[in-house]
Amino acid sequence: MNLRIKNWFDSGTPFVWLNAGAVSISVVMVVGLITLIAVRGLGHFWPADIHVFDYYATPSETPVRLMGEMVDEESVSRSRAGNPAYKGEIIKRNLIKTGNRDVSGLDFRWILDAGIKNSSLPENAMVVERHEWGNLYGFLTGLEIDGQQFNSSKLLWEKFQETISKNNEIFDQIRHIEKNLIGAINYKMERLRLKERGLELKEENTPDKIKALVDKREILQTEYNSYTNKLEELYNVLNSSSFIAKTAAGKEIKVGLSKVVRAYQPNAMGQFAKLGFYFEKLWEFLSADPREANTEGGIFPAIFGTVLMVMIMAVLVTPFGVIAAVYLREYANQGPITRLIRIAVNNLAGVPSVVYGVFGLGFFVYFLGGSIDQLLFPEALPAPTFGTPGLLWASLTLAILTVPVVIVATEEGLSRVPRAIREGSLALGATKAETMWRTVLPMTASAMITGLILAVARAAGEVAPLMLVGVVKLAPSLGLDGNAPFLHLDRKFMHLGFHIYDVGFQSPNVEAARPLVYATAFLLVVLIIILNLTAIRIRNSLREKYRAAEQS
Amino acid sequence: MANGVVNQHISKQFDDELENVRGKVLAMGGLVEQQLNNAIKSLIDGDIDLGTTVIETEVQVNSYDVSIDQECTKILARRQPAASDLRLVMAITKTITDLERVGDEAEKIAKMGLELTDKQGPKSYYVGINAMGNLVSQLLHEALDAFARMDSKKAVEVAGKELESDDQYVAILRQLITYMMEDPRNISGALDAVWVARALERIGDHSRNICENIIYLVEGKDVRHTSIKYMEEIVFDN
Amino acid sequence: MQQNNLNLAETNAADSEEVAVTEPNTTTTTHAIDMSSIVKPGVDAKLADEKVCIEVNDFNLFYSGAQALKNISLTIPEKKVTAFIGPSGCGKSTLLRCFNRMNDLIDGVTIDGTIKLEGKKIFDKGINVADLRRRVGMVFQKPNPFPKSIYENVAYGLRIQGIKDRRTIDTVVEKSLRGAALWDEVKDRLDDLAMGLSGGQQQRLVIARAIAIEPEVILLDEPASALDPISTLKIEELIYELKDKYTIVIVTHNMQQAARVSDYTAYMYMGEMIEFNDTSTLFTNPNEKMTEDYITGRYG
Repeated sequence: MNLRIKNWFDSGTPFVWLNAGAVSISVVMVVGLITLIAVRGLGHFWPADIHVFDYYATPSETPVRLMGEMVDEESVSRSRAGNPAYKGEIIKRNLIKTGNRDVSGLDFRWILDAGIKNSSLPENAMVVERHEWGNLYGFLTGLEIDGQQFNSSKLLWEKFQETISKNNEIFDQIRHIEKNLIGAINYKMERLRLKERGLELKEENTPDKIKALVDKREILQTEYNSYTNKLEELYNVLNSSSFIAKTAAGKEIKVGLSKVVRAYQPNAMGQFAKLGFYFEKLWEFLSADPREANTEGGIFPAIFGTVLMVMIMAVLVTPFGVIAAVYLREYANQGPITRLIRIAVNNLAGVPSVVYGVFGLGFFVYFLGGSIDQLLFPEALPAPTFGTPGLLWASLTLAILTVPVVIVATEEGLSRVPRAIREGSLALGATKAETMWRTVLPMTASAMITGLILAVARAAGEVAPLMLVGVVKLAPSLGLDGNAPFLHLDRKFMHLGFHIYDVGFQSPNVEAARPLVYATAFLLVVLIIILNLTAIRIRNSLREKYRAAEQS
Repeated sequence: MANGVVNQHISKQFDDELENVRGKVLAMGGLVEQQLNNAIKSLIDGDIDLGTTVIETEVQVNSYDVSIDQECTKILARRQPAASDLRLVMAITKTITDLERVGDEAEKIAKMGLELTDKQGPKSYYVGINAMGNLVSQLLHEALDAFARMDSKKAVEVAGKELESDDQYVAILRQLITYMMEDPRNISGALDAVWVARALERIGDHSRNICENIIYLVEGKDVRHTSIKYMEEIVFDN
Repeated sequence: MQQNNLNLAETNAADSEEVAVTEPNTTTTTHAIDMSSIVKPGVDAKLADEKVCIEVNDFNLFYSGAQALKNISLTIPEKKVTAFIGPSGCGKSTLLRCFNRMNDLIDGVTIDGTIKLEGKKIFDKGINVADLRRRVGMVFQKPNPFPKSIYENVAYGLRIQGIKDRRTIDTVVEKSLRGAALWDEVKDRLDDLAMGLSGGQQQRLVIARAIAIEPEVILLDEPASALDPISTLKIEELIYELKDKYTIVIVTHNMQQAARVSDYTAYMYMGEMIEFNDTSTLFTNPNEKMTEDYITGRYG
């Protein structure tokens, strides 16, 4: 028997099983992780049915009529459920989203499954997404447009939808004017102010120069006034209409149509209509700005901020890391000092990232940024320009965080270039620099990109240091826009990782935010996967080209 | 090489092959030497049986010639020998050709002996032939001895002696001509004797060739068609 | 590396004065030095008739103290094939690599003695190493084409020299590939990666690359040791053709190869030049017992 076990061990089978087991566990974990966040996150956008039912909090109590989406259900022990009046040791309860925060004060409720009676899915139950106060659940009873009353139940819904889409167009116009046009004017005004202050500081504020500025400002001011007038008109149109809805409990609410994002009747939708709606919502999530303390709307600024920051970081870290690696491997005398530097570089990769954040804040933001402000932007003081966390400092901090990876990968690549290739080039009368430039570096490209992949993957997922050096909960404007100089390295930005943290832990409405945490996390993973896949593709095509040379 | 001591090759098999072929050459040489002695003896003594043996031995000599030649070809193809090894193989191929010719000449003498015995029995003019036969046999023996020991000095010595056999040949020729002039009835027998002397003289030449091969093998210089003096220079100067 | 170069320069400076006194005839305009004064009388009678291309005098080389080459003196004749043979580690490759100063790349190398290329000392301070390497091409043991197209491999040397004219480069590429007997095999796929060629073709490509910059000398460091016999024969045939135009020095482990391709052969052992001789003499009747033992397989 013992011999058989010994033979079994000697055959190596246990190790094969052990290895295969480890691999399977890893695969299961990765797939499980992605599936969980994908299901939890992406399911959020599916239009759920609206249930209308009587709810008996205790069997004897008078029922309340409620309507809302079933969000979650769980079975808990009697004591955890708060010793309800219903029988059974295990109590089943449901989480329903009832919305109407403006009316009831809370939009999520745990209710006991046993207390639900007379449940139905009325086709005319509607959900109204609003710019404020969250969703409204109810039945449409009337419309009021420019003082005109509409109560006819037949065309009411169509008229409602029509008005909403009209309103949305107006809303887009308003947004365009507010954000782009007035934003540009504000930006120019600020520049003028700084210019004036600059002249003042340099004591060149001669009357004619001041006059020129004032003239310009006046032109801008008239432009601004015309926009505000236009805005006022548009707002008036928006505010001129409202609708009346009846809640499940029978209470009538009148809401201005200007607050409505969209309204839909999920119970009346077919599968295709739901699918279309789903993609519409998904697109909104990807492309729109956040609303309601980031718990509604999209996360576009966060995606944009993450990608922009990672790109700036890549642009900073690649040349820096590559040059350092080339010097270390090719030019520096290999001795104790280079060894020491290598150890230091490798250890840098192990420093906790928040330490980099502190360093970035202390060195880049306060010291470098402060000095830059003193030297280049004295007119803006005491308001800091670069002396405050921003895109540039965040990118730089992450560049320092990831530079060891690039250095190590590039060095690895350089050491893989066979001596024979270098000698071949030198033997043809090329100098060392020519050899590096024409042969060695192109062959190292795949390794450099490998380093960059690792750097990007790490940078995109990093949150802690960013909180100190530039990420904010809500950035008023993107880092890249139409106002010269287009790329605003001094601006603060939003980041997916921080967004997850913010929505998940800093949100006033935890239940509403939870699906968004998953969705954002999923998006972050997808973004990193896309960045990586792109880089891997580039690397593979390069590697293919040089593989034969490396093997020889 | 110069001192005749063969260092071992890294490839033991190559050593064995060379040793084997060298051994065969010496065996062939021994056979040819014996053939020559028997031929002379059968001629002088009129021994028909011995003469027949000589003629039969020729087959053996020929088969030696072929097999050694094949082995040399094999070594050239498979070992691509260089320097002394190359010279050894080349010397062997040339030497066995010479030995084979010696064998042919011996056969010729033996045949002649059989014919003469049929005709009229031993004659007095064989005395000279006997002496020359002994000398040539000695030459061949010593040449083979030099080959066995790779001794270039001995080879020069032997090559020098070959001149004596030439002198003897001339003397025998003169003697036989005298016999023929004395009595025309002697002409037929004397002419046969001339052939025998001629064969012996050829054997002397072949022995000298073998010596030249030895000098080429040991010294790396081709001394064919040169004077003994030049050979001595080559051999003793080094 | 810097330090090393300085060392070289110093030793040479000391040397040049000494040589200037003892060998006044080296400064003549032609490089055809009277060979008979250098070569051993009698033995190297044939060598005396040749023009000198490279001349090595009392050359010593140390790898961080360990002596790799000991008092090497020899003359390499022009437009002939000279082969270096010897057991591994005997210094033949090291000596070869001195001719285009490839050993400069190794840390801790010091030298002493002179090597002259056409009468000019190559280790002198004023010598531009890149320039020297342009004049002395080299082909290595393993084919080492660059990971570029066939065309770009051959054009590499020209591009290094700053030649940009497409037509000039086209002409040179074709000429070089023809010269390396590769043109017919690759003319339809000049833009393919050089890595796609077979080992023998790669090696000929590397030779084409070397001759594209028209060197005076081509150094071949065991050029066929990684190739199959047929490719080896093609390389050998190529060497035979190239010697009309170039001085060729070849290091090889394969004695038969040295015997086949070279006009002169040098046998080295433990950093010393044991025998330098006409190839046919060396392979039939070497002067030295050590050479004899090596080429007949008795070494060791």
